[in-house]
Amino acid sequence: MVERQSPLEPEYHVGSHGNFEHGVEILLTETRPGSIVQLAAWPGEEKKLIAAIRAVAGLALPDGAGGGLSDGAKSAFGFAPGKFTVADEAEGLAAAFARVVTPAIGTVTDLSHGRTAIRIAGPKAEWVLAKFFAIDFALPAFPVGAGRSTTHHDVFAQIQRTGTDQFDIYVFRSFARSFWKALCHASEEVGYEVQ
Amino acid sequence: MLITCPYCGPRDVIEFTYQGDGNRERPDPVSQNFEAWNAYVYDRLNPAGDHNEIWQHSGGCRAHLRVVRNTLTHEISSVAFVRGDHGSAARSKAEDKP
Amino acid sequence: MSPRRADTGGRIDRLKTIRFTFDGIAYTGHGGDTLASALLANGVTLLGRSFKYHRPRGLLSAGVEEPNALVTVLKGEVREPNIPATMVEIHDGLLAVSQNRFPSLAWDIHAVNQLGGKLLSAGFYYKTFMGPVVGPLKGTRFWMFCEHFIRRAAGLGSAGSAKDPARYERMNAFCDVLVVGSGPAGLMAAKAAADQGARVILADLEPHFGGSANWSGETIDGAWATDWVRRTVAQLAARDNVRLLPRTTVWGYYDNNTLAALERVSDHKEQPAKGEPRHRYWAIRAGSVVLATGAFERPLVFPGNDRPGVMLAHAAERYANEFGVLPGQRVVLFTNNDSAYRSALALKQAGAAIVAIVDVRPQPSAEMSALAGETEAELLSGHAVVATEGGKALSGLKVQRFDMVAGVLSGDARSVHADCLLMSGGWSPTIHLASQAGAKAEWSAARQAFLPPKPTQKWIGAGAFTGSFSTVEAIAEGRAAGLAAAGGTAAPAALPSVEAIPGDPDPAPVFEIRASGKSFVDFQHDVTAEDVRLAHREGFVSVEHLKRYTTLGMATDQGKSSNVPGLAIMAEALGKPIPDVGTTRFRPPFAPVSIGSLAAERFGDLKPERLTPMHDWHLANGATMYSAGLWYRPMIYGLSGETVEQAYVREAKATRESAGIVDVSTLGKIAVQGPDAATFLDRVYTNMFSTLAVGKARYGLMLREDGFAFDDGTTWRLGEQDFLMTTTTANAGRVMQHLEYFLDVVWPELKVHVTSVTDEWAGAAIGGPKARQILAACVTGTAVDNATLPFMGIVHGEIAGVPVMVCRLSFSGEMAFEVYSGAGHGTHVWEALIEAGKPFGLVTYGLEALGTMRIEKGHVTGAEIDGRTTARDLHLDWMLSKKKPFIGSAMMDREGLVASDRLDLVGLIALDNRPLNGGAHIVEEIDEANPRGSIGHITACCYSPALGKHIALALVKGGKARHGTRAHVSDPLRNRFGPVEIVSNHFYDPEGTRMHG
Repeated sequence: MVERQSPLEPEYHVGSHGNFEHGVEILLTETRPGSIVQLAAWPGEEKKLIAAIRAVAGLALPDGAGGGLSDGAKSAFGFAPGKFTVADEAEGLAAAFARVVTPAIGTVTDLSHGRTAIRIAGPKAEWVLAKFFAIDFALPAFPVGAGRSTTHHDVFAQIQRTGTDQFDIYVFRSFARSFWKALCHASEEVGYEVQ
Repeated sequence: MLITCPYCGPRDVIEFTYQGDGNRERPDPVSQNFEAWNAYVYDRLNPAGDHNEIWQHSGGCRAHLRVVRNTLTHEISSVAFVRGDHGSAARSKAEDKP
Repeated sequence: MSPRRADTGGRIDRLKTIRFTFDGIAYTGHGGDTLASALLANGVTLLGRSFKYHRPRGLLSAGVEEPNALVTVLKGEVREPNIPATMVEIHDGLLAVSQNRFPSLAWDIHAVNQLGGKLLSAGFYYKTFMGPVVGPLKGTRFWMFCEHFIRRAAGLGSAGSAKDPARYERMNAFCDVLVVGSGPAGLMAAKAAADQGARVILADLEPHFGGSANWSGETIDGAWATDWVRRTVAQLAARDNVRLLPRTTVWGYYDNNTLAALERVSDHKEQPAKGEPRHRYWAIRAGSVVLATGAFERPLVFPGNDRPGVMLAHAAERYANEFGVLPGQRVVLFTNNDSAYRSALALKQAGAAIVAIVDVRPQPSAEMSALAGETEAELLSGHAVVATEGGKALSGLKVQRFDMVAGVLSGDARSVHADCLLMSGGWSPTIHLASQAGAKAEWSAARQAFLPPKPTQKWIGAGAFTGSFSTVEAIAEGRAAGLAAAGGTAAPAALPSVEAIPGDPDPAPVFEIRASGKSFVDFQHDVTAEDVRLAHREGFVSVEHLKRYTTLGMATDQGKSSNVPGLAIMAEALGKPIPDVGTTRFRPPFAPVSIGSLAAERFGDLKPERLTPMHDWHLANGATMYSAGLWYRPMIYGLSGETVEQAYVREAKATRESAGIVDVSTLGKIAVQGPDAATFLDRVYTNMFSTLAVGKARYGLMLREDGFAFDDGTTWRLGEQDFLMTTTTANAGRVMQHLEYFLDVVWPELKVHVTSVTDEWAGAAIGGPKARQILAACVTGTAVDNATLPFMGIVHGEIAGVPVMVCRLSFSGEMAFEVYSGAGHGTHVWEALIEAGKPFGLVTYGLEALGTMRIEKGHVTGAEIDGRTTARDLHLDWMLSKKKPFIGSAMMDREGLVASDRLDLVGLIALDNRPLNGGAHIVEEIDEANPRGSIGHITACCYSPALGKHIALALVKGGKARHGTRAHVSDPLRNRFGPVEIVSNHFYDPEGTRMHG
C-alpha cells in the first residue's frame, strides 16, 4: 500500500513550541484516519442510517442534532440534518457502508483523501479554538462526542469533541496546511507540542 | 445578528448567506408566462417590517432556512428549514436552545 | 520623591521605579502610573497643542474621555498616534511624544492661529477654500492647493507607515451575563450573577477594577473602598464561572446582544510574552448585559477653560487619591453641583490649599457650606469664573458675581491667585452602549443629563449609568441587576454599608458663563460656544447638522465631555428646551479601536490559502506560483534566464509537439448522488445528462435563472446514480450553492445529495501527441487505446500501485487525458507520470501555457463567462436542449438576449505583430487623440506559438458577422493602438482532429 502524503508535512514540526517554558497546554496532532466517510440519509430515513452506522462501525449514536460518539478507533457524528461523518483508523469504511446503505436509505461519499483530521487537546484547547470559531466550546454547550459544522473565514470545519479537553477537527485537505499554521500560531501563547 | 439554525443552534450571521426573498414562487418550468418569470427573477418585496427571507447556513450545516426577520429591528421571529422537517435528529437542538 | 507626589496614598508602587521618555526627556514614574499621572508627578502640565488654534493644553481628565493630552506612542518603527496619556500605562522604555506642534510643544509657530480666532471659526475651511469661480485656482483646485498647508497646521498626530509587526487576535466568547464596568455597581452585579451560577464576564477599560471606589475615599463595610474592591475581585477571580477582562473596552453593542470589546493585552508591557497578542478583539455573545459604565463629569464653558491647570474636579480627586499626585498647590473649584465639594476635601486632605470654591448657585446647602468650611476655602456662592490667566500654566483667574437664573454677570471682576482650577458642570451618564443598542436617550431635567433609554435589548443598567450617582445606590442597583441578569431570585441579603460624603445629585442648570474670550465646548476639535452660536445664526437648526458643521463631538473622543454642554448652548440659541433639540445617537466604537484588532489574523502568512496535493513538487521544480482566488497554481516552470513569455511559449509548443502535463486539482468537483441525480442534472445543465452512459463524460453548460451563462465543465457518470461534476476553479463554491439552493428550496422532492469532493481528488491533465503512449507506459489494470478509452470515455486502473480514474477529454485541443487519484496519492501519481513521460519529452506546464492553448482553441473561461454573456454570445447555443426545460431556459430568449448587435465571441489577430492587452477596446476607426466608438473588448490574449502570432479572444458587437474584417485595438491607458483582423475564436485545429486522434 502506498502511504498517503500528509498535506501538513513541511509545516509539521514534532516537539514543543511557543511559550512552552512554563509547560505545554496544547497538544496538536494529525490523526490520519484511514477512512473518512460522509453518510447522508433521505428525509425520513435517518433512523435506518443511524442503524447502519451501528452495524458497520459499532457506534450507537445518540439522537439529536450533532449527536456523536467516539471509541478511540472509530468516530461518528451528525453535522447536518440527516448527514453524518464517520472516521475509522482503518481503511475501507466507504466500501463497507456501500454494502449497507442502500439507495433507498441514502448515499455514501468517500472523503478519506479530501479531509484532514487535526486533533487539539489540552487544558487550553477551548481557549485556542475560540480564537477561530464563533461557537460555544464550553462542555455543557458542546458535550463529549457531539459534532458541529462551522467556519473560520473560508475554512469549513467539522469539529467533534472526543474528550473533555480534546477536539478532532476535519478540514478540507487543500486548506489543511494553512489552517494548521494558524492553529500553531494561535497556540504559541500557551505553549504547544506537536506529537 | 444571530440566526438560530434549527440544527446548529444560534450562530453568528457571518456563517449565513442571504439567498433572497422567500416570497418568490418559481413558475412551472415549462410555463411561457413571461410576466411570472420576470416577477420570479427580478421582483423583490422590500417591506419595512417582517420579511420572509431565505438564508443558507453556508458556514454550518448548509441547510436553507426560512427566516422571518424584521427589517427595521433585525428581530427574527421564526426560523425553519425550507425543506420541511428533517426528522427527530434535527428537532431536539432547537428545543434545547429556544 | 517628585515634588508633586505624596509620600503615601493611592495604589502606586513607590518601590518600583519606571523609566520612560516623553518628548525626548527621560522621566521616572512608579508602578501603577499612567503616562498622565507620571508626567503630572514630574510637574509636566503642558501635554499637547490644540487642533485648530494650537493653544497649549494640559490634562482635562484622568480617563478615557481625555480630549487634550493625546500623545503618540513609539514602538520600534511603529508609531501609534492619538492615545490619551490617561490611558497609557507606563513601562520601562516607554517612548511617547506630543502632537500637533512645530517645532516643539513649548514653542509652536502655529500658535499664531489664536490671534486669528475669528477667522478660524465654524465652517472656516468650507467658506474660505472654495476658491474663485474662475482662474487657475477655481473651485476645488484652490482647496487642493491649500490643503497641504492646512493639514500641517490643523490635525492630530500623524500615523506611521511602518509595517506593524505586533500580533492581533480575535476571540469569541459566550456568557450568560456580561458586566461592563467594574465600579461598585459592576462588581456587585458580577458577584450576584456569579453567585447564581451564571457564566459571567466582567470587563473594564481601566487596568484595575473598582472604578470610582479606587479614588472616592469612601468606606465600604467599614474598610476603605479600595480594600472592598480587592476582596471582591479576589472572590470573583477564584470562581471558574467568571472571566475577568481588565484593560478591555467594550466598544460596540450590536444586534442580539453581540458585543465587541478590545482588550489591550500587552501595551503596558515592555515586551509581550512569546505568542502574546498586543490587542485582542473579543466578540462576546451575552445572554444579558449589565451596563455599569458610570458617568462622565462635564466641564463648564467659560473663557479660558482650556488653559493647562484647568481640570475636571473628579480627575484631580482621582490623581490625588489613586496616584498620590497633586495637580496643584493652590486650588480653586468652580462648580454648579455638590460633587466638587467632595473633590475639594480630597485635595485638601492630600495636602493642597483650597483657595476658593466658586459656586454658581446662590445658596449652597448647609452641608456643602460646612464642607467648604472644612477645606478652609473661601466659598464664593453666586459667583462664576470669567477668565483664566497664565501662559502655558495657570497662574490665576478672575471671578465675578453671577446670577444663574438671568445668566448675568455683575460687579467687578476679582483676581484669585491659583495654579489649579477644578471645574464640575454636572455628570453625564455613560449611555453610549445603550444608545448603540437601539433606543433614544431621555432627558432628565433634575439631573440635567440624558439618562439611558428603556432597554430594547437584554440589558439592565446599574449605578451612575442610570443617573444614580451615589455608591449606596450603585451597590443596591448593581446587585439587583446582576441577579436579574442571571435570572435569579435570591433572598434579600444585607448590602455592604457605605460611608460617604452626602450630596445632592442634581446640578444647577448652568452650562456656560458668557464673557469675552474663547470658551471651549469641544476641547479636542477646538469648538467654542461662539462657534455653536455662529452655526445657529447661519441657519443650522438640526443637531445633526450642527455637529457636522462645527465638528462638535466628532473628534476621537466623540464628544464624551462636550456633547451635553454643546446641546445646551444650541438649545439656548434656538430658544428651545434641551430635549426638543435632541441628542445624536451614539455609534460604535465607544473609544478608538486598533485596525489591527479588527483585521486580527486575516492577513499576511495567516490568511487562508488553498494548496493542491502537488504544491510542494511544483515549488521544488521551479514553478512560479500564481494566486487564483485562494488557490496557488503554477504560472510557469521557468528555466533559468527565461522570461515568462519564453517559458509559456516553450511549454505550449512542447505540449503540441510531444506532451505536456498540468495540475488541474483546483477544478471544482461535486459528487452528485442519488436516484434522481440524472433528472437533476437535466434541469441544471442546458444539455442532456440522463442519456449519458455510465463510464462516459459530457461537457455541460449551466445558465442562471435570468438566462445568462453561469458555468461550464464536464460531468462524469461513474454509476447509474453517481455523477462527478467538475466546475471552473473560480466558480466551484457558487455552483455548489446554486445546486444546494435548487435541491433545498425549489425541488425538495428530488432525492439527490451534492457533496464537495474537490479536495478528495488530485487531478493531472496530460495532453499532446505522445500523451497516450505515456499513459500506456504507466497505467496498469486497463488499456488506454482508442477502443477502451474513446473521446469522453472513463477507465479505472492503477498508476504506480495506486488507483486512478482516467477520463479522455481535452482543454488544450490535443489528445488529452485527465488522471484523477486520491489527493494523498497525488504527488506519487504525478511523479510516476513525469517519470513515464521522460522518454517522450513530456513537459510540465502552468497556467500561462494552459491559457495560451485554450485561447488557440477558442475555449471560454470566466473571462468570457463574465455574467453578461449568453450561451449564444459564446457560440454555445448548440448546447441548449430544446427537448426539456432547464434553469434559465425560460428567460434566455428574451429580446435583448438574442439581439443581433450583442457582443459575441471572436478571435483577433494583431496585424502589426505586437502584443495585445486584456481589456483593450476594439474600434472600427482609430482616434488616438479622442478614443471612442468601442465595439467590444479583449477578454484574453497571448502570443500563439502554434500560429506564430499575437492573438486574442474578444467580445465584439455583432462579432460573428465581422469575421474576416479589420478593426483596431484602442488602448489609450497603455498607449497601444493598432490594426487587428477579426476571425473565428477557433484559431487552431477547428475540426478537432488532434484531440479526437
